[in-house]
Amino acid sequence: MQTDDLISMMTADHRKVDTGWLRRVTWLAALAALGITILLVLATLGTRPDFAGAWMTLPVIAKALLGASLALVALAVFQRSLRPGLKPGRWLWLALAPLALAGLWALVTLAQAPAESWSTLIFGRYWRACLIAVPLYAIAPFLFLILLARRGAPVDARLTGMAAGVASAGLAIMGYSLHCPDDTAPFLATWYPIALATVTALATTVAPRLLRW
Amino acid sequence: MLTLSVDELETRLRPIFLAALAGDGAAYRSFLDAISLRLRGYLRQMLARAGRTEPSETEDVLQETLLALHLSRHTYDRSSPVTAWAHAIARYKLVDHLRRSGRHAGNLPLDDEAFQLAAAPEDVASEARLDLERALETLPERTRGLIDRVKLQGTSVAEAASAAGMTETAAKVAIHRGLQAMAKFLTRRGARPP
Repeated sequence: MQTDDLISMMTADHRKVDTGWLRRVTWLAALAALGITILLVLATLGTRPDFAGAWMTLPVIAKALLGASLALVALAVFQRSLRPGLKPGRWLWLALAPLALAGLWALVTLAQAPAESWSTLIFGRYWRACLIAVPLYAIAPFLFLILLARRGAPVDARLTGMAAGVASAGLAIMGYSLHCPDDTAPFLATWYPIALATVTALATTVAPRLLRW
Repeated sequence: MLTLSVDELETRLRPIFLAALAGDGAAYRSFLDAISLRLRGYLRQMLARAGRTEPSETEDVLQETLLALHLSRHTYDRSSPVTAWAHAIARYKLVDHLRRSGRHAGNLPLDDEAFQLAAAPEDVASEARLDLERALETLPERTRGLIDRVKLQGTSVAEAASAAGMTETAAKVAIHRGLQAMAKFLTRRGARPP
C-alpha cells in the first residue's frame, strides 16, 4: 500500500477527537478502583474493631492522607505518561514529599520516646500484615490502570508502570487504613513505604511487557 | 518545499491540527501530508545511521508511525507542541522496529538533531516493503472494495459507501476496522524480521 493511500484511508476515518477523555477516564478509573479496594478490605479483613471511635483520630487520617497524596501525584503523572511528547517523569519525585513528612513525624516521635519503646513503636503488632495486605490490595487498581494505559500511547512504559505502581499502592493504602490497627508514626513511616516500594518495583518491571503497542 | 525549522513547522501545523481535532477532514489531510513529509526525512536519516538505507524500510516505519498517530490522536495534549507529539511516536515506532529487526536500539543515537534537519525536498515516497494490504485480507470482500474506493483521492466516504451499497456510518466503521487491522498486523509481526 502506498503511504498516500494510507493517508486517504485515515482521512476518511477521521472524526472529531476528544483529547480530554484520557484524563477524565483516569480519575474515574481511580475512583472505581478505590471503591473496589474498600469493598475488598471490608469483605476480607473488615474494619478495625474500634473503627467507630478511631476513624477521626490523627493516625487513621494520616494513613489515608498518605495514600491519597501518593495516588494524586502518581495519577497525574500516569495520565500524562500516556501522551507522547510530554516528559512528566520528574513530577513523580513529588511523591517523596508525603513520605518525607511521615519520616520526619516518625523521627520526632522516636526522639521523644524512651529507647526501650522504639522497637514497639516501629514494629507495632501487625507489620507483616501491612507488608502483605497493601501489595495484594494494590493488584486491582494496578490492573485498572494498565488496562487504561493500553488505550493511551505510553512511549516510556517503565515510567507509566512506575506511576501506576505508586498510584495503586496509594489507593491500597487508603483502603487498608480502614483496617490497619497500628497507629504509631514510626510504624506508618516504615512499613507503608516498604510496601509502596515493593509494589512500585514490581509494577515498573511488569509494565513494559504489558504495554507494547 | 522549503525546509522549515521545527518552530516554524509547529507554528504552521498547530492551527491545522487543532482544526483537524475539531473535526475538519481537509485540515487533517493537510496535517498528515505535511507531517509525513517531515517524518519520512527523519526516519530516513535515523535508519541510515543504523546502517539501513533501503527506502522501502523507511516507508514501512513511516506507515507504522502514521497508523499509530492516527489511532492515538486522543493522546495529544493541547498545551504541548504537536511536532513533539508526532516525533515521540515516530521515535517509539523506530526503536520498536529496530529492536524487532534484530538491532539493539541502544546502539542508535536517538537525538533530536535528525528531526531538526529532516524533510529534504528529495525525500519522495517509495514503495513499502511490508504490504499492509495483507492485513486487510481477513476483512469481508465488501469492506475491501470500499477501502479501495476510499483510497482514490477525491472520492468521498459518502460516494464510496453508496457505490459499495453501504450506509455512510457503516462505511466509516468498516474503514476504522481496516486501519485497526493494519495496526494489529504490524504489532503482531513480533520478533520475526520482515
